[in-house]
Amino acid sequence: MSVAPLLRKIFLVDLIKGLSVTFRSQHPDELITEQYPLERPWIAERYRGQPRMAVNPDTGESLCNGCGACALACPEKLITVTSDRDPVTKKKYMTSYTYDVSRCMFCGLCQESCPTDCIELSQDYEMALYSREGMTLDRVRLEKGPEPTEYAR
Amino acid sequence: MSNSNFYDDAPVEAPGKTFLDSTEMVLNMGPQHPSTHGVLRVILKLDGEKVLGTECVIGYLHRGVEKIAENRTYAQFNPYVDRMDYVAAVSNGLGYCGAVEKLISAEVPKRAEYLRVILTELNRLASHQVWLGTHALDIGAITPLFYTFREREEILKIFEKYCGARLTTHAFRIGGCQYDAYEGFDREVLAFCDAQDPRLDEYEELLTTNRIWVERTKGVGILSAEDAIALGVTGPVLRGSGVRWDLRKAQPYCSYKDFDFEIPIGLTGDTFDRYVVRIQEMRQSLRIIRQAVAGLPEGPIMAKVPKVLKPPVGEVYHSIEAPKGELGYYIVSDGSTQPYRVRVRPPSFVNLQALDVMVRGRLVADVVAVIGTLDIVLGEVDR
Amino acid sequence: MRPFLDYLHSSVTPGEYGSYLWAVIYILIIFAVASVAVMLMTWLERKILAHMQVRLGPMRVGPHGLLQPIADALKLLTKEDILPDEADKVVFWFAPVWVMMIAFLNYVVLPFGRTHAVTDMNIGILFVLGVSSLSVLGVIMAGWSSNSHYPLMGALRSSAQMVSYEVAMGLAIVSAVLMTSLNSTGTGTLSMIGIVEAQKAAGRWYIFSMFPLGLIAFLIFAIAMIAETNRAPFDLPEAESELVAGFHTEYSGFRWSLFFLAEYAAMIGISSVAVTLWLGGYLRPFPNLLSGHSWDLAFSLFPGLIFAGMALMCLIGAARMPKIPQMKVQTIGLWLFGGVIALIAVVLFLPGVRERVQDIFWFAAKVAAFMYLYIWYRGTFPRYRFDQLMKLGWKVLLPVSLAVLILTALVGIRQDLSTVLMGVLR
Repeated sequence: MSVAPLLRKIFLVDLIKGLSVTFRSQHPDELITEQYPLERPWIAERYRGQPRMAVNPDTGESLCNGCGACALACPEKLITVTSDRDPVTKKKYMTSYTYDVSRCMFCGLCQESCPTDCIELSQDYEMALYSREGMTLDRVRLEKGPEPTEYAR
Repeated sequence: MSNSNFYDDAPVEAPGKTFLDSTEMVLNMGPQHPSTHGVLRVILKLDGEKVLGTECVIGYLHRGVEKIAENRTYAQFNPYVDRMDYVAAVSNGLGYCGAVEKLISAEVPKRAEYLRVILTELNRLASHQVWLGTHALDIGAITPLFYTFREREEILKIFEKYCGARLTTHAFRIGGCQYDAYEGFDREVLAFCDAQDPRLDEYEELLTTNRIWVERTKGVGILSAEDAIALGVTGPVLRGSGVRWDLRKAQPYCSYKDFDFEIPIGLTGDTFDRYVVRIQEMRQSLRIIRQAVAGLPEGPIMAKVPKVLKPPVGEVYHSIEAPKGELGYYIVSDGSTQPYRVRVRPPSFVNLQALDVMVRGRLVADVVAVIGTLDIVLGEVDR
Repeated sequence: MRPFLDYLHSSVTPGEYGSYLWAVIYILIIFAVASVAVMLMTWLERKILAHMQVRLGPMRVGPHGLLQPIADALKLLTKEDILPDEADKVVFWFAPVWVMMIAFLNYVVLPFGRTHAVTDMNIGILFVLGVSSLSVLGVIMAGWSSNSHYPLMGALRSSAQMVSYEVAMGLAIVSAVLMTSLNSTGTGTLSMIGIVEAQKAAGRWYIFSMFPLGLIAFLIFAIAMIAETNRAPFDLPEAESELVAGFHTEYSGFRWSLFFLAEYAAMIGISSVAVTLWLGGYLRPFPNLLSGHSWDLAFSLFPGLIFAGMALMCLIGAARMPKIPQMKVQTIGLWLFGGVIALIAVVLFLPGVRERVQDIFWFAAKVAAFMYLYIWYRGTFPRYRFDQLMKLGWKVLLPVSLAVLILTALVGIRQDLSTVLMGVLR
């Protein structure tokens, strides 16, 4: 056995190296904790969160034309669209729309299949509820979007 | 289960023995145990602390993913594969998309392939970070977990920016990628790679030379090359035993032959070798990422794939080198929009077989170390 | 029995003074302070460990989580007390009580200052050794009575570990005790205060005497004491990733908290022993290098200055808190906490208090350094395996401590030895 490794072993060099790593990490700049309700996390532009339905900003009408492509694309089959045909213009329009968020896995296939860019997965992520009932979103809630939650202490 | 009298064959009341004679102890490790990586249950037969035999009981996380596939279209099944090996979701997507592309003979554009390589290698890093953290935690070092998760967070941020999800990414689509690289993607990935090298050195300072770590891992859970091949073990576990077999080199897929990288192998096949192999693999992944970002070509990112996918009747097997080993997808098509059968060859499930060979005759503490070094994910074992 | 209040003017421990009442008062004070120290220690451990792991640790209960120990204690007290059906009820009930009792029994002889000890037993260090080896009994009782596999294995590991490390620890202590006899009179002492006073007379702490023998003996003790208190990297009896929680797997609520309390109390106790034997106990640092009246004054101002600095940090932190309604309570709490510490600092500057309290302060500061080391080790090292632990104990620590002991003795009698040798040669 050569001398250098033996000396390194006796003087605990390996252990001291490890100790120095953990000691250096105590520097306040190294902290990565986010204090969640006070500090909001960073959310990417393409984030897939709570679904929303877009409305035409000028008229307030839904962009949905009731084609049902999203319902077909959904792997969990949690979107139900009913549509009717306008007797005058012979155009399809959506009559009701429900989206069951409790089973959603946020794969984004609905938003990719939508021809009018109506349904989209927005950047909202605070979807926790105390019961499953409120998780089936209807058209009104989908268009309005989530109500921001106030956290009080 | 297969071995139904596993509990019974302990010599409880052998004739001519007094009540002070020792018997074997059956210890039920899991499914709720801090270091079985989820819901693995290992029944250990012990003589004191010495392990006489093990039996793995799996299936606590079974969700019937393969059956679900038979009731989904090809595109719809894509998000489900992310839920198998959830720490390496992107690799799962790559394997599945590659299999379906082989089935429909789609030609994936070069840019999409390079993007796929960048993301899967990032995911390999993320998966190995999780492995390193949890493995160190099993052996008693609690701090590396937080350091590795800090690095993993950076990777997940890149994923979130790229495809909008962090863990179950659904990053790829059949025929290419849905999303193009965002503004500043290459810059961010390169910055991450540059920051990663000193971090890896830091982990090595904490563990590689540490005498306790070396004592705990050297000579523990030895798996010879013959045993490894006979058990069908793949990935870093196989390479740790000294077999130079990496599907990225052996059967290059997804433009991997464009990149220059090495396959690290171990010598003795013990836990320390597998640790070194994975650390070196992380460095090689960084090398691949740098090359791929530098050579990222312009062009389309999606092949011409019909919107309603109806592959021809036939079957296909496609396998990739996932972070944990060979991840294979076997798909049988009956010509309809839904697969007739999808069978997944998960690396964790096959690697788990080696547990018994590796721990027999060793101590309880080694069982924990070996489960850690096998790097199993129960979502993939149970599917 | 001498008058009760006269004790305050004396300069001996209550034991020497012969007042049972004062002894009881001291015991109560030590018990209360030790309990508070344990609570503070749990907070510090979580905080320091968190910062080593680039986290923040407890932040929500009180400013910077200062009230977290109280919240934890309340939670543990109100938790359901589970008594396993198959357990041996009496032993199961008695085990945590025993462990707790033993952990606090050591405090009887610990000298926190020249006059601040319950009693100055003339066999103090033997008492410490004897008592600390009893705590393994409680662990075995807990493991056996739980009637469950993991606790049983934890208890078995614990008994083997404690017994084998006791030997090296005892030999290291003997070499320190040997050093007390190496003076002009040639008589040593086993009393804890006597050992500290011997270091004062020798003019150096035993860690520095006969370099490097004192240092090696100290290191052996430092390793053995970690194993003795079942802390990382020797935390095999409660190895979380292997044995779930080791010998206290089946315990919950208040009983579990007794084990917890005992563990930390034992840590503080055994570190105090190390401080007493090798680091000069309650003596202030640099007794030779920086001697003289002005240095004495400067060192006696030190405790007050430390507390003043802490108070300043708290107050600055409170002033820099974000001014939002959610943080209002926290800010007020931090102001109050800073105020209390400032008050303590002011009290510590008073001449009468300064003189009497500074040896307690130096003792506490040395013990606190050991506590930091405990946490630091836990944050850095992986855990030993059982056979490796045994190997380290019997094959490394024991021979080295024996060698140190023999060398210490030889160095101690080197003059007599040389005369004898010269005589033989002549």
